[in-house]
Amino acid sequence: MSEAAGVAGASLVPVQYNEDVVRKFIIAAMFWAVVAFAVGVYLALELSWPAFNLGYSFTNFGRLRPVHTSAAIFAFGGSMLFGTAFYVVQRTCHARLFGGPALANFVFWGYQFFIVMAALSYVMGYSQGREYAEPEWHLDLWLTLIWVLFLVIFVGTLLRRQEPHIYVANWFYLAFIVTVAMLHIGNNLAVPVTFYGAKSYSAFSGVQDAMIQWWYGHNAVGFFLTAGFLGMMYYFIPKAANRPIYSYRLSIVHFWSLIFLYIWAGPHHLHYTALPDWTQTLGMAFSIMLWMPSWGGMINGIMTLSGAWDKLRTDPGLRFSVTAVGFYGMATFEGPVMSIRSVNSLSHYTDWGIGHVHSGSLGWVAFISFGAMYYLIPVLWGRARMYSVRLMAWHYWIATLGIVFYISAMWVAGIMQGLMWRAYDSFGFLQYSFVESVVAVHPYYVIRMIGGLCFLAGGLMMAFNMAMTILGPATAPRPSMPARAALAGE
Amino acid sequence: MATNKGHFGMNGEAMADALVGILMVPLGLLGLVLASGAVDGEMYLFGLSLAAFCAAFGFGVLKRHYDAADRVPARIQRPVPHV
Repeated sequence: MSEAAGVAGASLVPVQYNEDVVRKFIIAAMFWAVVAFAVGVYLALELSWPAFNLGYSFTNFGRLRPVHTSAAIFAFGGSMLFGTAFYVVQRTCHARLFGGPALANFVFWGYQFFIVMAALSYVMGYSQGREYAEPEWHLDLWLTLIWVLFLVIFVGTLLRRQEPHIYVANWFYLAFIVTVAMLHIGNNLAVPVTFYGAKSYSAFSGVQDAMIQWWYGHNAVGFFLTAGFLGMMYYFIPKAANRPIYSYRLSIVHFWSLIFLYIWAGPHHLHYTALPDWTQTLGMAFSIMLWMPSWGGMINGIMTLSGAWDKLRTDPGLRFSVTAVGFYGMATFEGPVMSIRSVNSLSHYTDWGIGHVHSGSLGWVAFISFGAMYYLIPVLWGRARMYSVRLMAWHYWIATLGIVFYISAMWVAGIMQGLMWRAYDSFGFLQYSFVESVVAVHPYYVIRMIGGLCFLAGGLMMAFNMAMTILGPATAPRPSMPARAALAGE
Repeated sequence: MATNKGHFGMNGEAMADALVGILMVPLGLLGLVLASGAVDGEMYLFGLSLAAFCAAFGFGVLKRHYDAADRVPARIQRPVPHV
């Protein structure tokens, strides 16, 4: 527990923050990051050389793929979101976490239990078959319990705040928590075959089922992987740069426009399907409108560095955060382009989609998380800085190189696949068989695997740096920002 | 250091800790019921794991409670003059 007596103003009651649970979530995030990257590299090996499936049911691509996606999104990303939400809400509200340490601990261990049980169920062959929502009904109910308690702690802490204003990062975190609860419950409405069995069937059927799946799927990206991490951006970039947000007003416009527009964009995943045409067009139109809030937020994040650009030379953690905002801008430009029906006819079902997803997940989600972790680790463990700043810089460059390898290989492979599948010869026959397109993309799959290896190597460097920082001798803690110097609060 | 006692003081936190500990009993029992009637390997594993999780977490709550109780007298203890 750390004490923040009097730092934020004489009129505030001193508070003993609950940082135990934040430390646990940060350690868990580091662990799951390495697991997610390692499984991803193994899957890339399987795609390059299918012999790596090994002939066992539990090592085949179909079962390991949800292990990779769940480890990256829910285990690594989720642990970062829980940990930073608990840290930010306490600091900006100047209030201790609501509900006591046991409740916060239950949310931590309950969430880790969910992740482990979900991963085991995938390798055992149990899945709902819903992308990014593979766990069966009993695990969905367990996650609902954990999520409701997460909401109780977060809202309870907001209600007991000593600061009159609710800082914008908390708005993003709250939108993430509330909307993901709604999406999770809506998408997972299912009827179990028996109370004592894992198998269940969706409450929806046909195209309605597909629409619900992608209403969930796209908004999982919008509210789990975007809104929550924007909360992280709005707290940690001002803190690391020691500058207030470029425009607080723009951040409020960013918030309301983003959450209003995102929720309608899901149907762009179902172009050229049985979904009514007007619904597809609606999804496409709202996706294009999303350019405005996304780029508004990106500009706000980057311009926060005004007057502090020199820090990028000396603080690789801040470099991660700013590069993440750049990738956020790039991925949120590419997404609306891909949602346009005529572009989608080329890009859909190809590896372009995989490249797009990874420019967002590696470039935005992982990098903004790394930036926040490099800021938080010395603060939480009372150290002046990380064990090795040079290793942080190495991590930055090798991870960036890995992303470049990954996404450029997937762009080339994806566009090539799309063009090969639609090519006709002079007689009107398809010019290429499917297997010819598989052979053509093989070199790019190998390059993708090398990119993943680079990213994994960076993750291992970070884990080593983190361990050495925590286990190393205590040093003078990082000096705190002067009281009221930034809108981000203490 | 005191913490927002006007809203939800240390006594309230102790009560919340106890409630979380008590919650482990029905959840652990539910796990055992699920494991006992399980018709597939996944539900059997989940039920047993849930029971084990709840037992371990419940013991953890008890341990932290008594560890905290032990620390309080040590902190307020006055030095005793020895002859």
